[in-house]
Amino acid sequence: MPAATEAVTASPQTRPAIGRAVAICGPPNVGKSTFFNRLTGLNQKVANYPGITVEKRVGRIDLANGEEVDLVDLPGIVGVHPRSEDERIAMEVLRGSSSTMPQPEAAILLLDSTNLQAQLRMVPEILGFGVPTLVVLNMSDDLSARGGSVDAEAVAKQIGAPVAAVSARLGTGFGKVLEFLEGTVLPPPPVELPVLNNIPAGRRWADGVAREASYHPPEPSVWRRRLDKAFLHPIGGPLIFVAVVVAVFQSIFTLAVPIMDAVDAFIGLTAGWIGALLPDSMLKGLLLDGVWGGVGSVVIFLPQILILFLFIGILEDSGYLARAAAIADRSMRAVGLEGRSFIPLLSSYACAVPAIMAARTVENQRDRLATLFIAPLTTCSARLPVYALLIAAFIPEQPLLGPFLGTRAAVLLGLYALGFVVACATAWVLKSTVLKSKPMPFMLQLPAYRWPSIRSLSYRLLDRSKIFLRRAGTVILVTTIVLWFLASVPYTNGEPPAIGDSLAGIIGKTIEPLVEPLGLNWKVGIGLITSMAAREVIVGTLGTIYGMEADEDSPALQDALRSDLTFGSAIALLVYFAFAMQCMSTVAIVRRETGGWKWPIAQFAYMLALAYGAGFAAYRLFG
Amino acid sequence: MPDTQPTTPAKQFLADLNPGATAVVLDLDFSEADSVRLMELGFIPGISVSCQRSVPMGDLAVYQVDGTQIAIRKETASRIEIQTELGGGGDHASGN
Repeated sequence: MPAATEAVTASPQTRPAIGRAVAICGPPNVGKSTFFNRLTGLNQKVANYPGITVEKRVGRIDLANGEEVDLVDLPGIVGVHPRSEDERIAMEVLRGSSSTMPQPEAAILLLDSTNLQAQLRMVPEILGFGVPTLVVLNMSDDLSARGGSVDAEAVAKQIGAPVAAVSARLGTGFGKVLEFLEGTVLPPPPVELPVLNNIPAGRRWADGVAREASYHPPEPSVWRRRLDKAFLHPIGGPLIFVAVVVAVFQSIFTLAVPIMDAVDAFIGLTAGWIGALLPDSMLKGLLLDGVWGGVGSVVIFLPQILILFLFIGILEDSGYLARAAAIADRSMRAVGLEGRSFIPLLSSYACAVPAIMAARTVENQRDRLATLFIAPLTTCSARLPVYALLIAAFIPEQPLLGPFLGTRAAVLLGLYALGFVVACATAWVLKSTVLKSKPMPFMLQLPAYRWPSIRSLSYRLLDRSKIFLRRAGTVILVTTIVLWFLASVPYTNGEPPAIGDSLAGIIGKTIEPLVEPLGLNWKVGIGLITSMAAREVIVGTLGTIYGMEADEDSPALQDALRSDLTFGSAIALLVYFAFAMQCMSTVAIVRRETGGWKWPIAQFAYMLALAYGAGFAAYRLFG
Repeated sequence: MPDTQPTTPAKQFLADLNPGATAVVLDLDFSEADSVRLMELGFIPGISVSCQRSVPMGDLAVYQVDGTQIAIRKETASRIEIQTELGGGGDHASGN
């Protein structure tokens, strides 16, 4: 093993200047998000690094001395040799070679104090960037709870940089962090650190530091072994995996329904108030039917989407998701991908856009392309409103497996399975033809199990709600208003036209021959056009179109659909939505990620053909 | 050289390590970039590694190395040379 031949010196500490950026960096799974949330609270936003599409989270803190600091939460890194795109970005920012962001004024290196010797190895590598750095030993609560201890001051003396022991989860130890941000922490004298490019030497140095700081590692967690034994059990493991998935989808229906009813009632109530306030006019129609009705019919689905994100959040934060990825590796491999592709694909069940961004963590470029190509085939949450509406209208609820699984949840599961199977088949075809590649070593870190914190989960859900409501307030609002106008003109004798005679009706009837083979009528045809912008728009569209056919006997959209569509055509519509790439955001993100129109166009055409063909087949089969 | 008995001083690899057994990492037979990543994740020559369990439905196994758990495929583990005799691991902690 080569010995340490050159050394770097820790740079002297300076205070971060006003309004300047401080980067939070460190390995994955050390609690960076919790730490970041703890410091910035609600004062944060998620943005993309311009030009590249890895999310960056920025939060502003107002310090006690009146200064402001922008905290930037960087993607996790395990060293200074990036392999994936998000690691590369973190490295460029720290090195000051990023074209989109200047080198931060200071850095906070977050480490897991329950595995200190291993993690201290990164200290010389990060200090080598020459940015004043505070080393934070997180999870101090876990360390002491399991009988471990460390002398933070002694670590500071050894590494020549200030050190704080904190528990981001409990919020303890943050005094030192704030002092560092205010610039009042006196750095220990600089010391010689080992070379950057010699990992074994760095690791031996880290052992020495831990020894000098009288580091006592904690007792091994008994829970980790017990839980792994269950979750990775040869038979129990896969069974638990399936049970978790079924439970999540079942709860989307059972848990969400009362909340959705409440939201529905609220929207109806407020519509009544607004209606009473406004004089009868065309504007009133626009506000009530167009805006309130259209946007409201989408907002109703927020509880379901949040429940799905909540479950994915719990699975991820608890550490179970990585085990699930390990179990999935074999299946992923069967279609030419690897376990790592499982995580972007799982998040595409929530939304394809972040999933396509998350595919940046897939190191093999061809695997990455295959992953982002199939991501929109998995059932994203925007399909939920469509599925929920059609299932509720056409599938009677009956118990299948006692109280555990009803017919509606089973159909929903079937749709998820359909998207999954076709995604896998597509990946297999791609990976055995145009995207064939040599396998790379697969290494998957399994984080410690932790209780998901309510705080972190709430921030996730808050983020999601903001994004969803912003969509409802922009894309969905605009298409709803445009549609409402198309459905309200031409006015004849001061009266709005019957929907069939309106401009929207004329457009719909023109394209009707195209949708007829799927058993669909021109009203749904209009929905298929408007929902090219975003899938859930079809709910609002149908709401507007059917709402205008004010039929007092069947005020609910479900009843209206039931009277207009057959069972077979409803299934065809479900299948169409399972496959079609009805999402402008996804097209845009794929174009950005692949740097051209080739992939998004191929993807759009492929998915449309699939949707139309399968919809036709379904109508023939069930009609 | 015929390796009929386990007593022969043949090279040993991580893939041969049974669940519950512990050994010391000796060498990594990978490209420079792959070796660096394996070391960054804990597979550093001289460090103690133990096999925890194999993952169901596949050829992954979970190893405990330098305080973290990593799942790797058999094919990868068969290119990590190890030494199973006790006392060969220097003073590196076995992690938790």
